[in-house]
Amino acid sequence: MAKKIFRSTMAVGLWVLLLSAALFMGMLYQYFTDRFTRELEAEAWLVARGVESMGMDYLDGLQTENRVTWVAEDGTVLYDNMADESSMENHADREEIQEALRSSQGTARRESATLSQLTIYVAHRLEDGTVIRLAGSQSTVMHLLLAMAPPIVLILIVTLLFAAALSSRLTKRLIRPILELDLEHPEESEVYDELSPLLTRIRRQNDTIQEQMDQLRQQRQEFTALTENMSEGFLLLDAKGRVLSYNSGALRLLGAAPPPEEANVLTLDRGDTFQQVVGQALDGRRSQLQMERGGRVIQLLGDPVLRDGQPAGAVLVLLDITEREQGERMRREFTANVSHELKTPLTSISGMAEIMKDGFVKPEDIQGFAADIYKESQRLIRLVEDIIHLSRLDEGGGGLEQQEIDLLDLAHTVEDRLQALASQDQVTLSVEGDHALIRGLPSIVEEMVYNLCDNAIKYNRPEGAVTVRVADGPDAVTLSVEDTGIGIPEEDQERVFERFYRVDKSHSKAIGGTGLGLSIVKHGAALHSARVELDSVSGKGTTVRLIFPREQG
Amino acid sequence: MRNVFHEQLDQLNVELIKMGAMCEEAISAATKAYLEGDKELGQRAVTLEQDIDHKERDIESQCMNLLLRQQPVASDLRTVSAAMRMISDMERIGDQASDIAEIARDMKRSSVIQEVPMEAMALAAIKMVTDSVDSFVQGDLELAHSVIVQDDGVDQLFLDIRAKLIHLIAQGKDGELCLDLMMVAKYFERIGDHACNIAQWVEYALTGEYEDD
Repeated sequence: MAKKIFRSTMAVGLWVLLLSAALFMGMLYQYFTDRFTRELEAEAWLVARGVESMGMDYLDGLQTENRVTWVAEDGTVLYDNMADESSMENHADREEIQEALRSSQGTARRESATLSQLTIYVAHRLEDGTVIRLAGSQSTVMHLLLAMAPPIVLILIVTLLFAAALSSRLTKRLIRPILELDLEHPEESEVYDELSPLLTRIRRQNDTIQEQMDQLRQQRQEFTALTENMSEGFLLLDAKGRVLSYNSGALRLLGAAPPPEEANVLTLDRGDTFQQVVGQALDGRRSQLQMERGGRVIQLLGDPVLRDGQPAGAVLVLLDITEREQGERMRREFTANVSHELKTPLTSISGMAEIMKDGFVKPEDIQGFAADIYKESQRLIRLVEDIIHLSRLDEGGGGLEQQEIDLLDLAHTVEDRLQALASQDQVTLSVEGDHALIRGLPSIVEEMVYNLCDNAIKYNRPEGAVTVRVADGPDAVTLSVEDTGIGIPEEDQERVFERFYRVDKSHSKAIGGTGLGLSIVKHGAALHSARVELDSVSGKGTTVRLIFPREQG
Repeated sequence: MRNVFHEQLDQLNVELIKMGAMCEEAISAATKAYLEGDKELGQRAVTLEQDIDHKERDIESQCMNLLLRQQPVASDLRTVSAAMRMISDMERIGDQASDIAEIARDMKRSSVIQEVPMEAMALAAIKMVTDSVDSFVQGDLELAHSVIVQDDGVDQLFLDIRAKLIHLIAQGKDGELCLDLMMVAKYFERIGDHACNIAQWVEYALTGEYEDD
């Protein structure tokens, strides 16, 4: 725009200058011609007077730039200072001569036959009727004009330069308000009235844009709030696999740093499974795979985003299914273990019964067999009882009512129940500590303590000791069972609370037990919001602590 | 508006990430094949090696295309040339992983394997490869530098294993197996070197300075 304004003003200036120069030259030309004619006339008059008084002598002594011709009354040329008069034709028919003969003076302008250029003729009649004629070439006027040309051109150039400077300043002044327009607040700037419709329009559009931006921002915030608050990971990809949107859940599950703008999704994770799901989703196919990242099992769901039937991107959802997987695995293992554990005593019972049925057993041995059958069925009963216990714990206590329990009294009850077993294994069982009250389900807490003590006795060495301590603390009541037994190797300490887990699988049968004891302890503790701590040194002994936190308030 | 050149650079980046992922998979498959004697995983490492070779050629021609048609300058030129150097290191990692898998397939498994701390070495090498690819993916200069530092650790582990193997041979243990283990250790050590190279190329792409080792 500035250029255009500059160019237009310059063009106007140039045209005006050229035109005025041309007009000026025309006027000058006219002026010089008139002037020249008048000078010729004056000179002609002088020459005429000279010739009248001195005749041919005057002419011979005359010095002039103009051509002087003396013509007789009949038109014969008497004298010419630039041509041979004898060779010249009769001049009677010349316009200026005729005019001079008629009215003493005549002027004409035409192409001279002799000099063949535009010439101004001035004729003057003398007293004696002859005519003096002066002829001056028009080119003299042109010479004059040409002499004027250099200063005029100089003036033109100077003026043009001035015009350029002026128009550049002018352009700047015109443009400045437009440049300084505050497009954020167009109505506040005062510029040309011609621009105000445009500015109003801009203001209105600004408002619309602002409104839409606000809407978008709000939608975005809602979207972010929504995706940030879901525990699942969420990734939105464009057709080229670049991340358009993600939530922190996705980064957490993938263990990735926040991706830079427009980064490809593979910068978040480049695992084979991940690549497969991304690739299929971007190809327009749904897929669902599992992968492991940082010890968590992640289920990966890839859904294509279709536009007009063409994949335009993909949505990836990441679910942490570690717990579900673990739970499922434990249930599977439990079922397998339960069937196995139930089958073992049943097989013995059935085997012994079969032999007895077939009469292969001597009558005196029947008692022994019956004792074995009894023992196995007792084991079966214990097992089923434990399973029932566990499933009740799984159900959350089975609607039993919580009561005040004195842990020390309870420990003494368990001591009485197990005293016989302890002395059989040559293990000293003792209970010490303070009376401490907790709220809980007596049958379950007793079962827990019983199981702990039972283990402590069974996995002890002869002449060993089992000590049950009850401590009443300010924050919690602690019951610990300490033994001097074989201990639990470190690598097994995590797993002893699993159902049917046995540290020494080969000797489990000899020791007895169902493999469910510690599992019951763990579940029972969870039911009472208690913590179970296990300290064990292989070969030295084990201490299990049940920590019942005091109820708040 | 993104131009074709940037699209192609992005594509190159993605392909490099994929190739890096293949290397990681190959080396961890080879390691598992060695540690657990898993034949299937060993086979997987060998097939991956071929895939990695293909990938290298793909990326190479992509780089050539970029260089010839787009004539990149400054940091873009560095990116492309670093990519070309990186893929040859990655390809070597793939080769070494497959070599480890082949040795693991053919070697006798005996208690000697347990006596050599190869797992630590394998884990260190895998971590170097993962970190070097990560440093490229995230453009993380510090991580790239840490990979270069880690290389010393892997070299030390190699010397430890070498000393251990010499000791075992002196004790009269199975010499053939010991030599195999020596090879495996050397391959892991080389993998560490290549990961270190990759990290150096990442540094070069990011800063324009190449740290010579």
